[in-house]
Amino acid sequence: MTAERILVVDDEPQIQRFLRPALGAAGYEVVEAMTGGEAIKAAATSAPDVIILDLGLPDMDGKDVVANIRAWSQLPIIILSARDRESEKIAALDLGADDYIEKPFAIGELTARIRAALRHRVQMHGSQAQLSTDGLSIDMIKRTVIRDGEPLRLTPKEYDLLVMLARHADRVVTHKTLLTSVWGVAHGEDLHYLRVFIGQLRGKIERDPADPKIIRTEPGVGYRFVRHDD
Amino acid sequence: MPENDRERTSRPDPDALLALVDRDTRGKLTVFLGAAPGVGKTYAMLTRARRLKAEGVDIVIGLVETHGRNETAALLEGLEVLPRREVIHSGRTLSEFDLDSALGRHPRIIVVDELAHTNLGDSRHPKRYQDIEELIAAGIDVWTAVNIQHLESLSDVVSQIAGVQVRERIPDTVLNRADDVLLVDLPPTELIERLKEGKVYLPDSAKRAIDRFFRLGNLTALRELALRRTADRVDDQMVDYLKQHAIEGPWAAGERLLVCIGPDSLSEKVVRTASRLASGLNAEWIVVSIDRADGEDGDREAMRQLDDTFRLAERLGAQTRRVIGNDFVEEILRFARREHATQIIIGARQIRFPFRLFRRSLPDALAARAAGIGVHLITDRESPSTKPKHPRPRVSAKELARWLGIAATAVGSATVAGLVIERFVILQNISLLYLLAVLVSATYAGYIAAIAAALFSGLAYNFFFIEPVGTFTIAEPHEVFAFFVFLVVATLVGSLASRIRQQAKAAQRRATAVQALYDYSRTLSGTVDVEDVLWAAVTQTQKMLRRNAVLLLPEDGDIALSVAWPPDTELGVTDMTAARWAFERKEAAGNGTGTLPKSLFQFRPLMTPNGVVGVCGYVQRDKPLEINEERALAAILDQTAIAVDRARLSRETLDQAARLEGEKFRAALLSSISHDLRTPLATIMGGVTSLRQLGDRMPVDSRNDLLQSIEEEGGRLTRFVANLLDMTRIEAGTLNAKRDWVDVADVVRVAIERARKYFPNRAFETSIASDLPLMRGDSVLLGQVLFNLLDNADRFGGDDPVSIYARREGNEIVLSVTDLGTGIAPADLKHVFDKFFRKGKPDGRARGTGLGLAISKGFVEAMGGQIKAESPAIKRRGTRISMRFPVAVAELPRKDWE
Repeated sequence: MTAERILVVDDEPQIQRFLRPALGAAGYEVVEAMTGGEAIKAAATSAPDVIILDLGLPDMDGKDVVANIRAWSQLPIIILSARDRESEKIAALDLGADDYIEKPFAIGELTARIRAALRHRVQMHGSQAQLSTDGLSIDMIKRTVIRDGEPLRLTPKEYDLLVMLARHADRVVTHKTLLTSVWGVAHGEDLHYLRVFIGQLRGKIERDPADPKIIRTEPGVGYRFVRHDD
Repeated sequence: MPENDRERTSRPDPDALLALVDRDTRGKLTVFLGAAPGVGKTYAMLTRARRLKAEGVDIVIGLVETHGRNETAALLEGLEVLPRREVIHSGRTLSEFDLDSALGRHPRIIVVDELAHTNLGDSRHPKRYQDIEELIAAGIDVWTAVNIQHLESLSDVVSQIAGVQVRERIPDTVLNRADDVLLVDLPPTELIERLKEGKVYLPDSAKRAIDRFFRLGNLTALRELALRRTADRVDDQMVDYLKQHAIEGPWAAGERLLVCIGPDSLSEKVVRTASRLASGLNAEWIVVSIDRADGEDGDREAMRQLDDTFRLAERLGAQTRRVIGNDFVEEILRFARREHATQIIIGARQIRFPFRLFRRSLPDALAARAAGIGVHLITDRESPSTKPKHPRPRVSAKELARWLGIAATAVGSATVAGLVIERFVILQNISLLYLLAVLVSATYAGYIAAIAAALFSGLAYNFFFIEPVGTFTIAEPHEVFAFFVFLVVATLVGSLASRIRQQAKAAQRRATAVQALYDYSRTLSGTVDVEDVLWAAVTQTQKMLRRNAVLLLPEDGDIALSVAWPPDTELGVTDMTAARWAFERKEAAGNGTGTLPKSLFQFRPLMTPNGVVGVCGYVQRDKPLEINEERALAAILDQTAIAVDRARLSRETLDQAARLEGEKFRAALLSSISHDLRTPLATIMGGVTSLRQLGDRMPVDSRNDLLQSIEEEGGRLTRFVANLLDMTRIEAGTLNAKRDWVDVADVVRVAIERARKYFPNRAFETSIASDLPLMRGDSVLLGQVLFNLLDNADRFGGDDPVSIYARREGNEIVLSVTDLGTGIAPADLKHVFDKFFRKGKPDGRARGTGLGLAISKGFVEAMGGQIKAESPAIKRRGTRISMRFPVAVAELPRKDWE
């Protein structure tokens, strides 16, 4: 099996300097790009499996890079961003980026995100009908949710919400994506729907709804369905 | 929300409701109204007060005069009586109502007797009813008492009925605004009975008037006045009630009275009569005077009288206007139609017999032309025109002599000219020359000179040119006729010419005033700075009024003196209190007003549609403004208020823009700092975690490279943090540069050593003069500056070596760092020392922190030096940053050098 190829787009040479040996040691092949233009070109020509993209690029806005790539490819894109650039980050996710990680980060976090993105890419081909984690199993064909052997009664909206999150397991799903896919385009800003239904859903599926392990909150961005390898 | 009950056929009158709301936050005024002293007002008031007190109401006695009557004094027992204030008045110690202690006590209801009282000494207000208004404004209910004769509008009726002059008067509006009027009634016969029994107190001065005043007829008439007045009020309250409750009713059919007044004694009576008529008809009334367009504003006495009458009218509740025009009848009627007046009220003075034949009186003319408008004539019974309407201004002897001199010279010249010309040609109409003399006199010296010239001409004409020449007799009958015609023509021409002259003068004066105002408004329109507006306003006010002027603007919740002209004008405590009053109450205060008249100044609020923006004061010293000054002041104040308001708004807009700019800058700053901090942190954190987790899978040189990058980024972070701290110290002003002796060459050496460590590939050249003197400064700071400059030079300096020069130029040490890079764009040159200003390479890499030069500048200036940037430095390339420090004078004694 050949190593997965990762395109790292960052204008700071120091970042490139440590990512190359680190990702190399983790078993990936690294392709580097310093600017948005280079990034788009490399995405098209060097067939990367995952793109790691810094939003602050000298020649163009990182969001435009996402939009450009999304126009022709479903390649997983992980955003590298700073905490104070919240709105940029959400905009990039809404444009189709798959996940994000805040600077500074530990290499373990980054490789975990890369693995989740790669796994999802595999699932895109053979859609998964069943998913289970931490005593919870979802059967998307029978439309059942079972917690520790007990079937749960979910309302249709709760079920849709859970499935939407589970399909993007281990990756962040923005508020807007959840709202538009479950409630429709007109409700893209109705955050309170989400707050209420996530609360109800956690009440049913989490062992301790006060300390949720399955549906995690990404503050200001969205929610993440976390799979626990058991 | 459903919106279905929006429209109703009749809605309550909003003004009526507003008045009601206002009344709710204010205290209520209850007036005990009596027809005459002795009817028992105080008694009635105290009896009620006791009753309420017994019910537990917070009621106190502010002031009640018992006049030594035991039955009244007994009523005071058990009631809280506020202490009085001692005042010294013409050497005697008297007691007065203490307004401030009443306001401080703030009871629910306060009893203050004798509404019409005039305050003594340095009281805040001259009249007690003004004290009471302040109490009401503070939300305290007030009970007070007054006799009907004290009402302003009735004072002349009362003086007619009772034959006494009432000196203490209150405006009718006080009674009209009272929430309750209680009539304390006693049949006249009983009152006279009480008087005879000695139960009525009367001041000594009034004892003489007793017999005249307390007659059955008088008392009956006064009682009727009081009863009628109360009945009117009840009627008004009914109408108010109907209006507030939107009940369609037969209330006043919109009668409007137009009252014409002039500068004469009759006008006052006209105003009083009109006031009674208006309140009887429930009508609005406007008082107007017509000023002659060509008239002299000059006659002060008459103007003062007119002003007084206007003030009286305002106190009685009228609107007042002044109209300028020549044709009185025309102006009055035009005004009446514009204001939809239904009645005109005018004083009719009897015209003495001979004039009655020639001209119609103004009222007659008015009545003849006032189609559809009723005309009321108010006649003057007592004194048929003892005073001329426009008393001639007094003329000084010198002025008179000048006029006569001009007339005599003009006539003399005409005579000489006539005699000379007669030698050569026969003049048919020599009289034309004399007419010329009259015209010249009229034009240059006015009416009196014109008449004098006409008389002189007549005499000279007769003497020199009419047969027999050399005498004042006339031989031919037709010459007699011609002579008289000449006299009449000369007089007419003279008076016409002088009238034209007067009009021209008046027009010029107005033009000057208008020009001054126009200039002022142009000055203001070109000014957006509050300071400039204020100076223009205060100097203009001083110039126009020829009195000291001040302007006060709000400051920290109070008002404070902003500008004064002349600048040494000062305000005392009383003046400031008056100014505050004017500001808070939006009304004139101080000298000449009802509030704090002891102040030297009168203060006027500067009003705009947005409220009061400040207060203007001028020295009044009991000399009120003349009417034209008043007009000018009003115009200045209006313009000033608008200008101040505008200046303030534009300053706020600028502040807003600056704040916005500042916020943008701060946001950019924050983002840039966070980037500068986060990138090295990300590298360090990522490198360390990579080594820990994946280190054993990495080749050795990768590991070493990672470690080295961690070290480098650590250094970068350290420098950045140090820079930030330096910048903070500079900005906080806590940078204490030492004043040590510094050897510049030494500092340069150390800085280059340090730079070599950081930039091993960079070549440095130094050129330091061997005779370089010492300087005073901080070697650590100077070293840091040099290092920052070398850092920049390395970053932007291309591949050529960076050179450092140091030499002496006159009394300065010049130290410079020059690189041969691409240089700085001219537009950026002036910003290079700005905080966080930085330029990256075109690919966005190799950016600095944007602090190095800013810090260098701070350090250099802290050491008393200067720093500047030049680009291009050499042959259109490179940048030179040079610093200049003063050479320190060595203070070491000579022997220590050897």
